Amino acid sequence: MGLSDLFEVRIVFDESHLFFPRIIQGLLLAMALVIVVVRGIPTLRAVWAGHRTWPVMDGPFDHLRFFGTLGLTVAYFLLMPPVGEMVPNTGLGFLIVSIPYMAALSVLYLHRRDRRTLLLAMANALIAPVAVWYLLARLLNVTLP
Amino acid sequence: MDVLSALDPLFFVLISAGAAIGIVFGAIPGMTATMAIAVCLPLTYALDLNHGLALLLGLYVGGISGGLVPAILLNIPGTPSSITTTFDGYPMCQRGEGERALKIGVVSSLFGGLFSAAVLFLFAPVLSDFAIKFSYVEKFLIIFLALTVIASLSRNLLMGLFSGLIGVWLALIGTYDVSVGGNGDTRLMTEAMEPYLSEGFSLLPVLIGLFGVAAILKEAEQGIRENTEGMRITLEKGARFSLGVFRNQGVNLVRSGVIGTFIGMLPGVGGSAASVLSYTQQKNFSKAPEKMGTGVPEGVVASESANNGLTGGALVPLLSLGIPGDSTTAVMIGAFTLQGVQVGPLFIGENLETWNTMMVALVFANLVMFAIMFFAIKYVARVVMVPKYLLYPIIMIMCVVGAYAINYGVMFDVWTLLLFGLGGYLAGKVGIEIAPLVIGFILGGQAEVYFVKSLESFGTYTIFFTKSPIAMVLWGLIVLSIAFSVYNLVKASRRKTQEGGA
Repeated sequence: MGLSDLFEVRIVFDESHLFFPRIIQGLLLAMALVIVVVRGIPTLRAVWAGHRTWPVMDGPFDHLRFFGTLGLTVAYFLLMPPVGEMVPNTGLGFLIVSIPYMAALSVLYLHRRDRRTLLLAMANALIAPVAVWYLLARLLNVTLP
Repeated sequence: MDVLSALDPLFFVLISAGAAIGIVFGAIPGMTATMAIAVCLPLTYALDLNHGLALLLGLYVGGISGGLVPAILLNIPGTPSSITTTFDGYPMCQRGEGERALKIGVVSSLFGGLFSAAVLFLFAPVLSDFAIKFSYVEKFLIIFLALTVIASLSRNLLMGLFSGLIGVWLALIGTYDVSVGGNGDTRLMTEAMEPYLSEGFSLLPVLIGLFGVAAILKEAEQGIRENTEGMRITLEKGARFSLGVFRNQGVNLVRSGVIGTFIGMLPGVGGSAASVLSYTQQKNFSKAPEKMGTGVPEGVVASESANNGLTGGALVPLLSLGIPGDSTTAVMIGAFTLQGVQVGPLFIGENLETWNTMMVALVFANLVMFAIMFFAIKYVARVVMVPKYLLYPIIMIMCVVGAYAINYGVMFDVWTLLLFGLGGYLAGKVGIEIAPLVIGFILGGQAEVYFVKSLESFGTYTIFFTKSPIAMVLWGLIVLSIAFSVYNLVKASRRKTQEGGA
């Protein structure tokens, strides 16, 4: 067997959709191992020795605003299709659900909730979705939920 | 004369609107040109190609330029590429020369933008003519080269390559499409996922998620601090602006413009690399290097002409090879795909009219950017004070609109947005870099086709080395880019041990 046979390759058509993904997965696995050895183990040691915290958890973390954003967004996405079903093909599902979503998000992000800022937030939550909906759904005929 | 017919009033209105919106996005810290384009994409769904591009190019130029405003006024870079503008811009502002610094920055930006547009105009067609001769083997190597260049210029070679590979892997999810010579089977998924993912993840929801939603999640983690609160902006005091400032800056302008343009051409390199490099070069050549960083015009000139040089530079590989030069042009690839246009070596030749209108749009966008920033700088300066609690909810609903409408109403695309938003946020935590990942994702599908087809026709791996002299040159460049990053790594660690010892 010559050296050139070593590099020979035959790709079976029925299996050809797996050929490249297998190579990429092999490379990913190999690199992941190298990264664990080169970077992961020193980090782990440092964490155990108490020199540093887990990389994901360093710095201040605003739990309320982070998980609030996530929760509100999931609720927003879940509610949009059923509301849109009630008045189909008008994009109103988007409009109706976006207003409370924006209002809630704004209030969540506010640090000083006084009359002025709350009023601004509410006005914004009302005007922005209406403007977006009117411009896109009505004028430009873009599909919205 | 076809070009002239495409240039209707709406065309210019869209460029101007794009530039204005882009400047606002660029000027608000934490929001970037990439985000501006991602958020405004739904507006282009209803436009034709030329008008859509007019809007996007306006946004691009405006978004890159706007970053200098908070950099000078508040010492916060509005976009990553304006980081070096803070070095001299902010001290000038503190001395009461805020308006002068802003205007110096704007004029430098205009020069950088126009210079790079000229380079784009001359260079892209030549590169495409050359690239037309490429077979699948060379095309695969070009993509491979692009990924190694990105990886070697990211913070860590290993993580950069790993991120790029993850992007490629994500791109492979779905069907190996018959239209590109595949067998039509799906892979990397379970049967339950097939109704949603048989086409794979859509490009735009992925990009909007990574650049829009992920940024907001990151800000939410930090508690959405209004970092401009209580800050005051003072313009106009002290020395006034005059063009005389530029008298001795010719070399600086051209050198920085060249650096910006050519860094822009390297795929996947962020804007900060260009401005940092041109700033340090100016420092090396300056007659008074010790003054750099204390508020001298030459620092602002170097930084701003370089970061606007990026705009034209990043479009070169996009239009001639189909490889995006940075994350902003990566989002633009999505816009092209949306219009049914394939960017690559054939693009300019087959779409001469579009190419010419793009050039007009790019030049005009720079002029509009200049006009807005130069004459209305006082009003632009105020947008940096727009509070985030009003802005971020708007961004979120715009992201949703963009993702939902892209395939005419697929709710799964909206969930993709959240999935990649959260994924991008977490990836940043463990050191995975978004730029290589995105480039990998965009090029992954093509890389597979070129790779598998090359092997199917030649039946041996050696073909990638021996196909043509071009292939060998490309291998040389690949080795060079890896060597460069290893060299940098060694240099950095040596410096660290020296500092540790001293």
